Amino acid sequence: MSTLSADHVDIEVRDLRRVYGTGEKAFEAVRGIDLVVDAGTIVALLGTNGAGKTSALEVVEGLARPTAGQVRVLGMDPVTDRAEVRRRTGVLLQTSGFPADLTVAETLRMWASTMTSTRPDADVLAELDLGGRADVRVRSLSGGELRRLDLACTLLGDPEVVLLDEPTTGLDPQSRRRVWDLIAALRDRGRSVLLTTHYLEEAEELADRVAIMHAGRIVREGTPAQLGADQASTIRFQGAAALVGLNDLPGAITVATHSGTTTVHTHDLQRTLHALLGQAAQCDVRLSNLEARNASLESVFLAIASGNSDPDGSPSSVEGATR
Amino acid sequence: MTLPDMSTQRIAGLARANAILTARNRLTFIYAVILPLLPLGLLIVGDNKSAGAGANAVITALLMAALFPVYANLLSQFVTRRDELVLKRLRTGESTDADIIVSLALPGLVVALATSALVVPIAVALGQHSPLNPLLYALTVLVTLLLFVAFACCTAAWTRNAEAAQLTSMPVIVLVILGQVATAFPANVRHWTDLTPGAAITDLVRVSWFGFKTGSADRTLALSDTWAAAGQPLLILTAWAVLATILARRSMRWEPRS
Repeated sequence: MSTLSADHVDIEVRDLRRVYGTGEKAFEAVRGIDLVVDAGTIVALLGTNGAGKTSALEVVEGLARPTAGQVRVLGMDPVTDRAEVRRRTGVLLQTSGFPADLTVAETLRMWASTMTSTRPDADVLAELDLGGRADVRVRSLSGGELRRLDLACTLLGDPEVVLLDEPTTGLDPQSRRRVWDLIAALRDRGRSVLLTTHYLEEAEELADRVAIMHAGRIVREGTPAQLGADQASTIRFQGAAALVGLNDLPGAITVATHSGTTTVHTHDLQRTLHALLGQAAQCDVRLSNLEARNASLESVFLAIASGNSDPDGSPSSVEGATR
Repeated sequence: MTLPDMSTQRIAGLARANAILTARNRLTFIYAVILPLLPLGLLIVGDNKSAGAGANAVITALLMAALFPVYANLLSQFVTRRDELVLKRLRTGESTDADIIVSLALPGLVVALATSALVVPIAVALGQHSPLNPLLYALTVLVTLLLFVAFACCTAAWTRNAEAAQLTSMPVIVLVILGQVATAFPANVRHWTDLTPGAAITDLVRVSWFGFKTGSADRTLALSDTWAAAGQPLLILTAWAVLATILARRSMRWEPRS
């Protein structure tokens, strides 16, 4: 197999497989995935629990060797070129791991002592809004603070490549927003980010490209817009009873009213919505709780997770956006 | 495990954090620092003038220093940090496996080395001879401490969690105690117990410091005889250290068992 690694590619995964155990008990968690993260971009690996995201990421992190296939980070092998790769990479594991009896400052100091070069502790603490918590023991931190401390360690060396395994799982909305801003800022500084998540909005908000993983395979890959392109947009409102011609809305695929809420699916949101609003004006009806949204990753994701996609996920059966 | 790949900067930083953690946990601190010094009290009370009593006190102090600050402390730190996912987190950074193990062992090793050194002036001040062959004594201490680091790593590999360490550490404790109490056993039993690390350490201290021949408690060996007399126990102790290191390298676990 040839190594393609061009200058602009920071992470490259080719036909990666990872098998746990041997013989009859063997379980193939990652079943041959390809993944590319271009320099200065954010790629989200999206999937349900057990899809194989962490298993794949651990190989990229160099914590595990691949059963088969190739991984290149900054053009190097994360296992054999470990020292060089680690110096330029920041990793955040799915679960934070710090000694409970050290303070925040002591933890950062410990972490900094293991690094070739670091940014000033105070800068990183301030960036993650932990400045006032420096003397607090890790065991007294909230879940959000612990995650931010973990992220502080990840970013302490200003890494070129950042690998984040479910960075915001368990965070409150405010903390999540703060972490998102930080991740977006990394891209703005030209860093490359590969993150796993099972939050669709996280992938939609942050990622330049999304790879949806299911049962060890990547079943869809593309920009969030591409992935949603062949999915229907949705209009929802209440008060349909007084409307006429609801079933003749131009562009509408399905119209259904349930418990007073009407849902319209359409491939042409603007045209359908325009017609709907026209009808409402004509009939002098006020549509309450009106919302209109483009196809989201959600619909793609739910279709895959519920098994509507080919369970084998073989590339030939994949519709919609692929690379 | 990539042993040659160590960094003093990383080890110093990690060991410093581990020392803070040891000092912060009162029970760990007592076990690691106070306990090894207690056997020296044997030199003060009772029949403290005889060389036999002196040897027993020194050997007990050395074994306690190997068992508590080094073996038990490293075992419990390793298992606790593994359960807390601290080890896995560290391995995502620049730290090597060797950095992590050495830094976990270092605070306890310093305590054990200090105890082994302190025991010399204290014993002399209390009326004992100074070590006959200091070099052999120092070598005994070093191989002993290495062995117990390796023992701790082996034990950690098959210890499910911190509570289980109380049970999984028993075989090593038995190996140590058996060798030391075996001096009172009949010769045909001692033939076997002499193969334990506890017996090897006991013999090595008796030979290197006190110049005892096997089974005697009189200073009969000359300095030049001590190396030959130490041959077999040193070989046994080294064999244990090599065996334990190989086992540790093969069985090392860095994440909690799922």
